[in-house]
Amino acid sequence: MSRSNSLWLHQFWLFARFEITRLTQTPRGWFALAAFVVVWYFLLRYPIYEAAVQLQQLQVQAMLTQLLGAVGLEQLLRWPLPELSVYWLLCLAVLPLAVLFSAADQTCSDRSRGTLRLLTLRASREVIFLGRFAGQLLTQLLFIAVSLVATLSLACWRLEGLPPLAVLNSVSLIIINLLIVLLPITALMALCSALAKSSRLAISLAVVLLGAVAGGLGYLVWQFPALEPVLDYLPLAQLPEVLNANDWSMLQHAWLPLLQTVVLLLAGLVVMRRRAL
Amino acid sequence: MKTLIEATDLSYAYGAQRVLQQVSFTVEAGEPVALIGPNGAGKTTLFSLICGYLPLQSGQLQVLGEQAGSSALAGRLGALPQDALFDPAFSLQSQLSFYGRLQGLSKVAAQQEAERVLSLVGLAQHSQQLPTSLSHGMRKRLSIAQALLGSPELVLLDEPTAGLDPVNAMQIRQLIANLSGQATFLISSHNIFELERLCGTVLYLEKGVLVRQGALTQQAAQQAGCSYLTVVLESAVPADVSQWFSQLPGVTEVQQVQKHEYQLAYNPDIAADVDLQLLQLLAGKGWRYRQLSKGLSLEQQLFSDKTRRA
Repeated sequence: MSRSNSLWLHQFWLFARFEITRLTQTPRGWFALAAFVVVWYFLLRYPIYEAAVQLQQLQVQAMLTQLLGAVGLEQLLRWPLPELSVYWLLCLAVLPLAVLFSAADQTCSDRSRGTLRLLTLRASREVIFLGRFAGQLLTQLLFIAVSLVATLSLACWRLEGLPPLAVLNSVSLIIINLLIVLLPITALMALCSALAKSSRLAISLAVVLLGAVAGGLGYLVWQFPALEPVLDYLPLAQLPEVLNANDWSMLQHAWLPLLQTVVLLLAGLVVMRRRAL
Repeated sequence: MKTLIEATDLSYAYGAQRVLQQVSFTVEAGEPVALIGPNGAGKTTLFSLICGYLPLQSGQLQVLGEQAGSSALAGRLGALPQDALFDPAFSLQSQLSFYGRLQGLSKVAAQQEAERVLSLVGLAQHSQQLPTSLSHGMRKRLSIAQALLGSPELVLLDEPTAGLDPVNAMQIRQLIANLSGQATFLISSHNIFELERLCGTVLYLEKGVLVRQGALTQQAAQQAGCSYLTVVLESAVPADVSQWFSQLPGVTEVQQVQKHEYQLAYNPDIAADVDLQLLQLLAGKGWRYRQLSKGLSLEQQLFSDKTRRA
């Protein structure tokens, strides 16, 4: 490996790891961690724990199976632990929105403050952009892992023992697939952060972009019904299929978010290269 | 001599407003280079192009043998950009160490380098503070410290002493003078006296056009076969002092440029030792002087024609 390539990788890792440092060593990071703990305490204590208890009752299970089967989500109840069913549902519903906010400030503050001028004297714009993106994924991985451990601890406390292999398989499945779901949202925020001057503007821009794309395509489909399959390419369009899966077959839907991520990152790189600092 | 910057027909416009027009120059390794020009002359735009903050629109710009903005310049080019602030959430030491690591230094070496540059600008005792707790002058010194990190070959300083108190400004000038053997500095400033002391070459921009480029000493010594002496006298001198000066052999013109400051133009082919004769005249008449300098000051070189025209 040439020296420039190894320096690029070194810088990429430094930028990615710095996001964890930002989370653990700054007041802003501490507030984020505190908010995470509070939110997850309430999620675990009430929706997850209560739902898990209810789901143990056969009558409730039968009713929910019928109900969820009617909307095509019958697989949701077939996770090895009821806690994981509720966790999976909550994460898919909440995390994309949470990432829209948490990943908004990837480069915009540094640009408006002028810090990017100091950074670009030492690293290329590309490595800054991609390193920050990877750092956001690392942060998300950390949050997902910690919340999963807390959920499993709750299940351990409720039950005598857990089926270790099945749980390990489910945990790996959840971590990988949640990250895949969050990839295009994180990439979208990387792009918006490269375009906007503040994280607030980046969030607004993302909401407007998502709304405009969904609205525009919706209008097109209304005018030309033959275009309806186009809606399947929208961000998070794979969520219903992913929600109703609890095995590795859900990876067959991964190509769409991965493709969206690549496209959004390429667009972000073009913006990063062309913008004046 | 190694060429550090080579600009050819560089032009830049913000929309319809042309800020740089066909600017061509070279900067060689060696003495500090002054970049001078009035407000809006295009100095900061030129700086931004050299640092890669702005994309090239037209022309060629090679910095240290690389295309401006190339990632190959990482660590070789240091800069003090205008209005660039540090991340307010991290200490000076941690940010400079991080920058050092980005430049390829090991963790320990980056920490040592951060301590070194903070010591250079007198901020070693503030290394654990946040940038927000620093005064304006201290922040400026911190920005200079980051520009010197890792011993770059070329250092660009945009208004390095603006906003600093006289003591700190003097320390920064001394620092630049001391380091000028290790790196070549390109300094943009409105403080012409500062640039005159520090720099060996000047680039003068006006309305986006490079109107003058050359060595300061050569320009100051000789201008079209005419040499100059500038003398600043103490206050108690007679009113006809100009007449006495004009009677010295070889002196062709005497001009009172300020209240007690006189500029003597002379022909060095007729009298090469006018300075000695002037000193003898002053001693003979008992007139005390504060300063005697050969050649024109940078200010006079750049602006005297304009002043005369006005």
